[in-house]
Amino acid sequence: MRFVLPKGRLFRDSIEILKKAGIELKSPENRELIVRNGRYELLLARSFDVPVYVEHGVDIGIAGSDVVEERRSDVLIPLELPFGKCRLSLAMLGENLVSVEEMDGFRIATKYPSLARRFFESKGVEVEVIKLHGSIELAPKIGIADAIVDIVETGNTLRANGLVEVEKIMDVSALLLVNRISQKTQFKEINELVLKIKGVIKDGS
Amino acid sequence: MKKDLFSESERLADITKYLRRTFELWGYREVFLPSIEEFNEDLRKGTKFAYNNEFYIIKPDLTSQILTNLKVPRKLKLYYISEVLNGGVKGEWQAGLEFIGGKDTKMQVEVLLAVISSLEALGIEEFYIDVGSLKVWENVLKDIEEFKESVFNALTKRNFEIIERLPINEEKKEELWKLFNFRGRKCTYEKLNRIVEMVDDKRIFIDFGTIRPLPYYSDIIFEVYSPKIGKPLGGGGEYIFKGVSAFGFAFDLNALSKLFDGKIEKSRKKIKGELKEAYKLARALVKLGIPVEVE
Repeated sequence: MRFVLPKGRLFRDSIEILKKAGIELKSPENRELIVRNGRYELLLARSFDVPVYVEHGVDIGIAGSDVVEERRSDVLIPLELPFGKCRLSLAMLGENLVSVEEMDGFRIATKYPSLARRFFESKGVEVEVIKLHGSIELAPKIGIADAIVDIVETGNTLRANGLVEVEKIMDVSALLLVNRISQKTQFKEINELVLKIKGVIKDGS
Repeated sequence: MKKDLFSESERLADITKYLRRTFELWGYREVFLPSIEEFNEDLRKGTKFAYNNEFYIIKPDLTSQILTNLKVPRKLKLYYISEVLNGGVKGEWQAGLEFIGGKDTKMQVEVLLAVISSLEALGIEEFYIDVGSLKVWENVLKDIEEFKESVFNALTKRNFEIIERLPINEEKKEELWKLFNFRGRKCTYEKLNRIVEMVDDKRIFIDFGTIRPLPYYSDIIFEVYSPKIGKPLGGGGEYIFKGVSAFGFAFDLNALSKLFDGKIEKSRKKIKGELKEAYKLARALVKLGIPVEVE
């Protein structure tokens, strides 16, 4: 069985929950991206790529609901996991604060262009979306964007950069992803794994 | 230009040659449709554009295009091989069948057999077909109609937690859980049993978890897949067109291409020697239906 886990903030919790469910995956040493452990194989990927790997054939993955929604990957999502909790929000500089409805013609910087477009479309507000790959908070500060759509955990990064949350777009959580075909070809094993993880979540709550 | 367009084209040519032959053997006729249609809300997928103050759609989903062009329903057995766009400029190649106005069960069985023989013609033997039913779900959901959308959402994601959170009784949840995980060859729905029995192939299963998020299917739906690749090879289902029952399916040619090993080309007769004689022999062989290559 092949697993793909995201490098970064979800990695440690992902390894931990799988371990509690009886799947011991070795953490990678050095800069390895594939680690084999008995009949399991662990792949490490950028968080944004995890749903894509699962859609295209890796059996199991863990990714945030933000990236799953952004990628709109055709994957099964049997469980919401009890970590990676945060929110995706629209924010802008406190001194220029306006409501979403007043953002017509604004330029929005984000790592989530598809989610941002869908959000503004649902509000009937026309904006220009520019994709950035990191340090999104910089964009309004240096004037290349009027607002940002980004992940907010505590709000500290926003505050430190003079940004204020205008509206929450979605709650974010880590999700367990399963490849559609693996669910059919490894029906029993995958169902057992899902039930075990469910048990771990229940015990922990 | 796409990377290595011509080698991709060669593979598609090989695959579609055998698909065409199989579809024709089962009595389907190829349908040729325009690349661009006037915009109409019944057309699915495709890429919209405006020209001379009118809206058009380029390369829409073929089933919807066939139905848009078919004013009055009648018995038709059609097949198509076409690129389908989905809002962008890069499309997916599909090959599909539509059996419109046939008899129930017979239609489903014929299409499923065409799927099986098409894959076999391509030398693809390791595949499965999972067949499900929307009516079975609709029956179970009759008394909890208000939660239908949530249950289908749960099915599409295969997330039973969504159902567990619904304010419905435990007995109903248990019934849904059983259906959610049902996989076998015989069930309580006679129509499905008949189809599986008549197709009579060890690779076909009844799986009520087989639900595709498409709004137009009316009952039987199916998905074809191979353990060798993580994406479905194709799928289809039953729909009602102007009161007439129909059944169709489409292969994803890119997925087939990954499984196709080109073995068919090995049977091509290679002819060497003096050109005039070689071509004379080649012509005679082609007349007998034998593929040739003059070297």
